[in-house]
Amino acid sequence: MERSQQKQIVEALIVAAGEPVSAARLAEIVPGLDASDVAGLVAELRGEYEAQGRALEIWEVAGGYQLRTAASVAPYLRLLHRERAVRLTRAALETLAVIAYRQPVTRAEIERVRGVDAGPVLKSLVDRKLVRIAGHREVPGRPLVYATTKRFLETFGLPKLDDLPTLREVEELLPPPEGAAASVTPLDADTGEAIEPSPPPSELH
Amino acid sequence: MHETGTPAAVGSASSATCAIKLDLFEGPLDLLLHLIRENEMDVAELPVSEVADQYVAYLDVMQELQLDIAAEYLVMAATLTWIKSRLLLPPSDEGEEEEGPDPRAELVARLLEYERFKEAAEQLGEFTREGRDVFKAAVPEVAPTPEAEREIEVSLLALLDAFRKVLARVPAGPGLHEVEADRVTVYARMRAIMDQVGSFEGSLAFEQLFDTPGGERPSRALVVATFLALLELVRVSALRVYQGMREDGVPAGPIRLRRSDEGADEWRRRIAEDPREVEGL
Repeated sequence: MERSQQKQIVEALIVAAGEPVSAARLAEIVPGLDASDVAGLVAELRGEYEAQGRALEIWEVAGGYQLRTAASVAPYLRLLHRERAVRLTRAALETLAVIAYRQPVTRAEIERVRGVDAGPVLKSLVDRKLVRIAGHREVPGRPLVYATTKRFLETFGLPKLDDLPTLREVEELLPPPEGAAASVTPLDADTGEAIEPSPPPSELH
Repeated sequence: MHETGTPAAVGSASSATCAIKLDLFEGPLDLLLHLIRENEMDVAELPVSEVADQYVAYLDVMQELQLDIAAEYLVMAATLTWIKSRLLLPPSDEGEEEEGPDPRAELVARLLEYERFKEAAEQLGEFTREGRDVFKAAVPEVAPTPEAEREIEVSLLALLDAFRKVLARVPAGPGLHEVEADRVTVYARMRAIMDQVGSFEGSLAFEQLFDTPGGERPSRALVVATFLALLELVRVSALRVYQGMREDGVPAGPIRLRRSDEGADEWRRRIAEDPREVEGL
């Protein structure tokens, strides 16, 4: 298939998908397209959008490509999407930061870092699907552990977790929290059922 | 009141305002960090003697304003007081002072740790955020078929059965004093059904067809005309009638109606051409 035709289809797929769509998925659908060529095609599309001054951009987030509106038109979209505004309090951001860098992490560990009760914030983050219950820590009491979700990556425009900026190192490193090394029984992201045997819990794409 | 500057910022009358001001701090660690900064000191040095007093003064103000002080703040006040007293104790003679850990060490470690995450959170807050700074181009969702709607088309028999149940609930007929009943025509009911189905995303339950605007019991004439109208709409393919299906393929659950796109277009054309439309039947 002609490269120009492949590009056209890739563009259509990214537009129609809404959610981030991975290079592998695109290659699967577009005849004769290799996953390694996807980045090149996307780069061309980006170039075209930019040259034409379009309001659209293709972002690489949460392990895939997603079409988004340019930041320059955000004020107008905020008026359009009033109910969708993603407001996060400082408490929510701090809790997210602890989970993002320490996952899988228990509520007690989050509270130890922040020095305050984490319950309500955790609930709201789980409700907003930025955080999920990833399983149990295999220590007495089997506390739940929390991890970030794909939605988290999408919301913050991160291709993958490794793209978080590194946490500033400090001279005084705390000893790892008790039981942090204990194994975790992961829960299925959809059903909440325990998955056995346990794959690594941070299977974020 | 101790002079810290911060309590003054809190000193407003309404409790609503106070609650907002209090939100400036995310907890005792955050408040402590703030006080250390105010004193232009280093976290690692943790100037306990200064900070402990200011911290307690802050809690006093909160109390004066009759704010609920979270238990965590009180625990921290106790910790600070304890550390302060430890630091004031004269070192014991027996060389122990060399070995004893700095009572501040653990708190300093926690403060540094918290500070890292506080910075990380600030960074996170400045990230370009989907839903705030950029928006995903939202193509209307192609709704996946919910599992309850694995449907089959309903047989005429099932439809008749449902109709009998509805009919059984309405009065047998006009009483002796026949008040001028609503003039119900099949054609008008056909239009009403199409309006009703058209205003629904997805499907409409069979029973809803017989709902009256006021919620009163439908007349027998209305029920009959409605049912005939339904049959006619199915015949001209403007509507399809479905029922859920169990795992084993047996029809089950409520009967539902759905517009059939090609037939509905045809129907609209017919309405447009039909003179009765103008008469407003």
